[in-house]
Amino acid sequence: MKILIEQYYRFLKIALTALMGLMIIPVTLQILSRHTGIIPRYIWTEEVARFCFIWIIMIGSMIAVRDGTHFDLDLLPHPKSPRQRGIYRLIVHFGMTLMALFFIRYGFVFAKSGYMQTSEMSGINMLWIYVSFPLAGMTWILFLSERIMYDLELISETESDEPEGPEESGESS
Amino acid sequence: MSPGLVAAILVGGFVALILLRIPVSFALGLACIPILLIDERLTPVVLITEMWKSYNAFILLAVPFFLLAANLMNSAGITQRLVNLAQASVGHLPGGLGHVNVTVSMLFAGISGSSTADAAGIGALLIPAMKKEGYDSSFTVAITACSSVMGVIIPPSIIMIVWGGLMSVSIGGLFLAGIVPGVLINLILMGATLAYAKARNYPVGRRATFREFLVALGQASFALVTPAIIVGGIVFGLFTPTEASVIAVIYSLFLGGLIYRSIGLKEIPKVLYESARLSAISLFCIGTASAFGWSLAYFRVPQALVDVLAALHAGPVITGFLIALAFLIVGMFIDAIPAIIVLGTVLLPLAENAGMHPIHFAIIGVISLAFGLVTPPYGLCLLIAASLGKIKVVDALKDVGIILLPMLGLLVLVIVVPELVLFLPRWIAPHFL
Repeated sequence: MKILIEQYYRFLKIALTALMGLMIIPVTLQILSRHTGIIPRYIWTEEVARFCFIWIIMIGSMIAVRDGTHFDLDLLPHPKSPRQRGIYRLIVHFGMTLMALFFIRYGFVFAKSGYMQTSEMSGINMLWIYVSFPLAGMTWILFLSERIMYDLELISETESDEPEGPEESGESS
Repeated sequence: MSPGLVAAILVGGFVALILLRIPVSFALGLACIPILLIDERLTPVVLITEMWKSYNAFILLAVPFFLLAANLMNSAGITQRLVNLAQASVGHLPGGLGHVNVTVSMLFAGISGSSTADAAGIGALLIPAMKKEGYDSSFTVAITACSSVMGVIIPPSIIMIVWGGLMSVSIGGLFLAGIVPGVLINLILMGATLAYAKARNYPVGRRATFREFLVALGQASFALVTPAIIVGGIVFGLFTPTEASVIAVIYSLFLGGLIYRSIGLKEIPKVLYESARLSAISLFCIGTASAFGWSLAYFRVPQALVDVLAALHAGPVITGFLIALAFLIVGMFIDAIPAIIVLGTVLLPLAENAGMHPIHFAIIGVISLAFGLVTPPYGLCLLIAASLGKIKVVDALKDVGIILLPMLGLLVLVIVVPELVLFLPRWIAPHFL
């Protein structure tokens, strides 16, 4: 299971890199067509760039759940023992799980509404874009379950032998 | 539900969740859920559709692209060329490397729209160099962090693009309005460095010969053209901000790959990944912040706030101070972009009611939020500089406070004298006003 999650995580990283590179192309085409006229004026460029962008945000949000890099605030005193730390983290991950469940439940409703629509310029079925929301919810659950397992380990361990596992490091751009 | 009750549930819920260390982006979304489930007129899917609407904006694409351009410039060694140029121009003043640090930040700010890329790129080069020459770590970290705030005040600026896109203010106008306060911050910081250098006997660098200056200028010339292309292109309507951000990416790739040959094909995927990852984290927060802001607006919370404050008959100056205070406080705790979405949209009717110009309102907001980048608990530029300087954030706080004080003076000046920011757009591009 662990290997599968690791492979999926690596796939997401590659997809994120590729989409970022890909997103440059339609905007460049748009500039070239408007200023040089060497290529025809495509009407789909802006839309395709926007769709890449939405996938980048959603995939980025999935990766950040596994990395623990969604920005958080450090206002309350730090827990002393591993057990306390485990409880603190469990509360955080439980809250995030609630959001993930909400995204799965209502993301599907949203995605279903996308199936009925095609995009205005490029004619893409909107399901392809809308599905990123429930998928994000499911992926968060997958990565959160990994973190929650570690929290439970922390809580059950004694002071001396703290298990090795993912660390929290909140950050943002 | 009354606006007061909704505000209490939303804001109270959000604060409670972030105190529990739930990530800000998740806390903003979770805080909306009770309201969406309780109110019969609303469907919970609104949370997702509002997020979708906020992401489906072409203008926001400029955020990852400007970050990518800045990261490419750091990888391509363009920052080092700017350091050499600053060294040759101001390195001979008392506290030489401090002035170099400040000046490079200003030059870098004209190329990039991100303060964090500024702190990371310049800090990595100059913090070790300054410590080696005997500058105190706390001053070194403080001046690196404080000067990096110019990144979002001097155009191009990611924060201004988000602001302009969200509140329908001309981005070209915002860019022009940011120039004067940005240059004034540069002067203030150089003054502060001079005072520190006198008080603490910091070293004086060797004065570069005219020939050395010309060589450094020549080596940095390609990089120095960037602001003219990006800012000029947007101000004179040649490109949209998103197109300009892609031009910045292509130009950095061209400089790093073909002209300076300092960036290899192997490095590009890493830079692409890091830029996408970092921008996705803050952009994801835009979505939930939009849903949060939408919920506030749906229950007419901003209007209720305007009614309360309108009863006080506050003029533009008092309103300006209230706006700055609100942004300064919120900016201490959350990232600038969600702060704009949540607070900017709430305060906009208030500013309009007091008769403030939208560009003046925006610049007050941008400067206040920029200060939030160096104030704890969440001052990302300070965190980056402190980690590069290998000191605790607490140890740099005193010097950050001292340096911020005259910068706050500038904010007061901007609030009291709107012409300070408005005269440049009025002169160059009156149609933006």
